Amino acid sequence: MNSLSIWTRRDFVRIGLASAGAASAWAAIPGTARAAGGTVNFADIGVGDPGGDWSLFTKAANGWNVNLVAIGNAPSAILNVLVAGGGTASYDVINIVGGMQKPLVDNDLIEPLDTTRLPAWSRDRNIAEFLGKGTPGFNFIGYQDKLYGVPTVLQGDSFAFLPEKTGPLDSYAALFDPKFKGYVALEDNYTTAGQKTALYLKHANLAKIENPADMTPEELKTVVDFLVEQKRKGQFRVIWSSFQQAVDLIVNKEVYVIDCWEPMVFVAKSKGVNAVYADPKEGYLLWAMAAYLTKNPKRSAEATQAAYALLDFMLGGWYGAKITLLRGYMTNTDAPDYAKAHPDQFPAEGAEKVAAITANVHRKFAQGGTWQNRWPKHVDVYETEWARFKAA
Amino acid sequence: MLRRLLARWAFPALPIGFAVVFVVLPLALTIAVSFWTRVGLVVRPAFTFTSYEAFFAGARLLVFERSFLASIEATVLGLLLAYPIAYFLAFKVSPRAARTVLLLFTVPFLVNYIIRAFAWTWLLGRTGLINTLLMASGLTNEPLDWLLYSDVAVLIGLVTSYMPFMIFPLWLSLSGIDRRLIQASWMLGAPPARTFLRVTLPLSLPGVFAASIFAFVGCFGESAIPVIMGGVGYQMMGNSIASAMDVLNYPLAAAISTVVLAAMMSLLLVWYLAFDARAFLGMILRPGK
Repeated sequence: MNSLSIWTRRDFVRIGLASAGAASAWAAIPGTARAAGGTVNFADIGVGDPGGDWSLFTKAANGWNVNLVAIGNAPSAILNVLVAGGGTASYDVINIVGGMQKPLVDNDLIEPLDTTRLPAWSRDRNIAEFLGKGTPGFNFIGYQDKLYGVPTVLQGDSFAFLPEKTGPLDSYAALFDPKFKGYVALEDNYTTAGQKTALYLKHANLAKIENPADMTPEELKTVVDFLVEQKRKGQFRVIWSSFQQAVDLIVNKEVYVIDCWEPMVFVAKSKGVNAVYADPKEGYLLWAMAAYLTKNPKRSAEATQAAYALLDFMLGGWYGAKITLLRGYMTNTDAPDYAKAHPDQFPAEGAEKVAAITANVHRKFAQGGTWQNRWPKHVDVYETEWARFKAA
Repeated sequence: MLRRLLARWAFPALPIGFAVVFVVLPLALTIAVSFWTRVGLVVRPAFTFTSYEAFFAGARLLVFERSFLASIEATVLGLLLAYPIAYFLAFKVSPRAARTVLLLFTVPFLVNYIIRAFAWTWLLGRTGLINTLLMASGLTNEPLDWLLYSDVAVLIGLVTSYMPFMIFPLWLSLSGIDRRLIQASWMLGAPPARTFLRVTLPLSLPGVFAASIFAFVGCFGESAIPVIMGGVGYQMMGNSIASAMDVLNYPLAAAISTVVLAAMMSLLLVWYLAFDARAFLGMILRPGK
């Protein structure tokens, strides 16, 4: 007699019904990983790491873990990882600055998202407000009417200044003001510094530029000619290319006006420097990070479900609040409420900081400006023109 | 017969095979890709000079010229500093002391080269240690801007990074010189300066050239120092290649690399034709050893 023989038919029916119920309940919880003990491989540019703590995800996703691997954010670095490095097989989710859908989709590297598998998607009001179809923000998560990216971080960039040296500033004109000759730094990036310059030239009626986010070769030439002229006059001290370099420029007071990211100002302030992140009248350079599901036909249904669970987790309050606190960016609309409601996880000071950062970035998005374009139509011309500026 | 042939070729086959797989093939592929064409984001085999035209007609040629000049300047300056150090170590101190000093010259390489470049920015900046000392001593009234984010700063960065690499081949070459030749020069009445110019320096030229190649090649491909210490948009060839790759323009990046490769190979060819590599190790100068 085997052990099954002691079971009655009623036992089988009862267990069968219970199993069916459990399976239905399991299926009714979208985003929950259904197999235990696996690992979601997560490639990230250094912003999406919640301090190495994935325990809440593991708990919510039936034991699945996250293996985070740092990658570069340059378009070539990302594409090289995914194409040459076999990254679609190595990574399930990549979290990068969005707007890269064209090369990623055209090279068959990412999957369109099924948002019905992401319960938190509909809760995040930022998506509808700033990233919806038909808006410029959609280009950060979608491509050709399909959704590809989960927005994980949103921010509006401008420039920083040292008020005791410059007085109050509220325009990108400060970057080109002869008063600050030799005390200005730009970022080595045509999609940030180039686009901000275009925004300034357009608003100041110094150049006819239809769309600073996607310039024609002629418009771009006008912008670069202007930058070359400024460079030859000695307006710029340096072009920075790393976070530490920009922070050092501010902290050492090597420059008084710098085209940079807001977290650099947070770091400078933490070192006792009175730096201010400008609120320019021309608006901000808006951008968002997006987490994409890589295209891997060999990935199991369980692993795909776990990857969706991770994407959903990243739209959640705990993850959002944690990233806002650690990096200084707005994440999702659940984040401030979650931080406030969980003093055991986020002390009052932290919760206030999350709320303040979120409100500040939200204000920037409401004010508007220009959306950064990571992959403009004439991207080769951008690169060549930027090389001309640097070599001039 | 076959066994003898196998025994003869089996040993060199390993390094030759390694060089073919890891050096020759990647370089050949780079040269091939430089003639390929780019359709959208995809690179397709072809035979076109489009990428070379883009390189020679655009701003990148200026970068090439700048890299060449900066590398020559850094190499010459490096030689002027490294040669006396190597000479001193080879002729004026005990072998034990020389080994200790040579070991000390390797210490900077234990620190990441990017950190080293950042350290220079903290020293040379407007509010850095050097400017602070200059102003405190009354030598200057205001900070010297050209100490950092300038051509001078790049030169400082390149020389301090590559000069230690130059000391080793120079020391090796100088140490290999048969002392009896120098003694013979003295005994025949040549003053020290003449002995140096007519005996020591010519015999150390293989080392000088080897050191120059090490430094020049390193400087030419340098990408971190120009970015961290250079002025507005200062670029060298490494930066230019990286920039082309940022927009996935692999044929252009390959074309730039091929031009750099051709320049380097020309220099190596000169070395090969001008010097017997064995002279570098003193084997010809000391036959039988």
